[in-house]
Amino acid sequence: SSYQLSSVPLQILFYINGIYYIFYFLATLAMIVYKSEVFSYPDDFLAPDLALLFIMAILEVLRLYLGSKGNLTEEEAPLGLSLVITVGSVILSVYFLVWQTYVLKADVILNALLLFTYGLESVLKVVAIAAFVS
Amino acid sequence: AKLCVCDLLVAQCDVNCCCDPDCSAADFSLFTTCSVPVVTGDNRLCSQKAAIYSLDVEANPPERIFKLVDQVNPSVFCIHATNYKEALSFSSPRMPTSENFDQLLKEFESATFSAEPDSWNMNTDAQSPSDAKETYRYKYGVPIQTVDAFLRLPSPVVSSWCSDANPAGFLVNQATKCTRSVSVEKCGNIQAVSMLFYINSSILAKLHEFVFQVNITVQSVVVQSLNGMWTLLDSSDVLRLPMILDELCINIVLGVSYHITYTDAGEIIEAAASFVVGAINKEALSIQQSFEISFTQVNTKPVPLSGNPGYVVGLPVRAGFRPQGYPFPVEILFNTNKHGQLTILQSTSNQDCLSAQGARTPVLFGYNMVSGCKLRITAAMKCQPLTQTLLDLLKGQTFPEYVASFGNSQAQDVLDWVPITHFQTSEQRIYNAFQSSCQIPISLEIEVKWTKYGSLVNPQARIVNVTATITTTTLKQLPSGRERTIPITSSVVFTDISSPAEPGYKAWPTINVKLPFDFFFPFV
Repeated sequence: SSYQLSSVPLQILFYINGIYYIFYFLATLAMIVYKSEVFSYPDDFLAPDLALLFIMAILEVLRLYLGSKGNLTEEEAPLGLSLVITVGSVILSVYFLVWQTYVLKADVILNALLLFTYGLESVLKVVAIAAFVS
Repeated sequence: AKLCVCDLLVAQCDVNCCCDPDCSAADFSLFTTCSVPVVTGDNRLCSQKAAIYSLDVEANPPERIFKLVDQVNPSVFCIHATNYKEALSFSSPRMPTSENFDQLLKEFESATFSAEPDSWNMNTDAQSPSDAKETYRYKYGVPIQTVDAFLRLPSPVVSSWCSDANPAGFLVNQATKCTRSVSVEKCGNIQAVSMLFYINSSILAKLHEFVFQVNITVQSVVVQSLNGMWTLLDSSDVLRLPMILDELCINIVLGVSYHITYTDAGEIIEAAASFVVGAINKEALSIQQSFEISFTQVNTKPVPLSGNPGYVVGLPVRAGFRPQGYPFPVEILFNTNKHGQLTILQSTSNQDCLSAQGARTPVLFGYNMVSGCKLRITAAMKCQPLTQTLLDLLKGQTFPEYVASFGNSQAQDVLDWVPITHFQTSEQRIYNAFQSSCQIPISLEIEVKWTKYGSLVNPQARIVNVTATITTTTLKQLPSGRERTIPITSSVVFTDISSPAEPGYKAWPTINVKLPFDFFFPFV
């Protein structure tokens, strides 16, 4: 199918990522609330965690929109930008995996899944950019 | 070792505590069981090491078995890691050093470590206007202010010389005596012996307010002559200043008595001073001055209280009469003179009853007193007049009928007054009816029974019963020319008849179970 350069797997992955991220966001928020009730969670530690979660949500929306648009319009610029934003999202996800105030087992599972998704997406994006460029 | 909860004693082995590091194998052999079998950290962690202790009682001697296992928390919400080091343990408080002291003080100085200390400030601001009003009233003990300084009541300090720096306190009744050095040459120069010194500055009616001032008026002036005779001057308007007359310095102030009238709002509305002035001659080097101040509330008659409400030891027992002619007791009349109430005979130096007529001393609450005199009986004395004289001597001219049960009993509360019961006993045990002899009273014993009334913490003395017992003896007829001396005594005894305090316990709580009134509905 040489007339269609858009990557279908990438698009499917974007769709799944979107749904999964909504679940991830709500779950992480709920767990932060749970931790603040059950454990000793001073304001100095709670504020950065919440702020980073919301920044991550904004970045995710931007990333998925740009990636999806780039893939569908077969342009490499938005797709490249999406790849750059993915780097930021990965760093944030690693923060929630390792450097959060309280890392529960559920956090580990969620973030590991998210990182796996990011990794797969990045590979597919690179392939798609290569296809568009050439 | 920190996690071992049964390790309570420092550097000593706790009994049956298998995780105590201070215990040796010999100690373990004496244990019967392990009180703490498992020692772990926080069990919310996903995986941790747990120490399991058990006692092997089969072995001889018994020994402790220690196993280290991995404990896993299966929950999905177990803590995998924390990046907050005080997460799962109590943080030890920070040690104040010179660097963080100010910051710690700011953080922890208020009562609840709240972030809004301003709420406390707002309350104090609201209070200060009303506080400002309060300072304008005189309160008990506050020095009475005059235009220049304070109302002075010279008093002796350390030695008996007068010091003019003693202020008169509001509502503090004081009486002082002190010595002042004078000489005829410096007659007009010594300020403190001139009347002007004491009435010069006006008293401020309210504290710190110079608008309302009360002038001190001269109520009366008594002139004391050199031999001690007092003469009351008719006109007290004229101010008598010290001056030299016939080598004497006259109009020297020997005593001042202030009477201050105040309202119940703490304001002074009137001030009067009564003076005693005298004269000194060339030999006099010092004089003794006496000062007094008393306070009266406006529109009240001053009745000196002997306690409020219980009697105070040392204050006179208040007594009075019921007015004649009234069918129901309306009021008790009593003498407002402090010392003119219940009195007993006062012993004099010459101990002769008949020459010491009229000397009486007031009965003070709590002070047992005995007094007496000697009576010389001659053959010429007749029975009846002698009896009457002795009764007058023992009881005084006006022996009261009622005694106040509380120190502040009012005249109109008749039930607060205790009647004095009179008894008469005879000294002779065997009374010979055939002897038509004369019985003369020789002793009066007043027994005042009082009790502690009120709360255990602040008991008030209350007079319950007063009895006056007259003891009589037979006056044997003397052969003419002979005389006899008999002692006459009178005494006052105060007896405490308070019942011992009983502890009061609260009633046991009872279970109050009642069925509802319509429990047996269809049948009732």
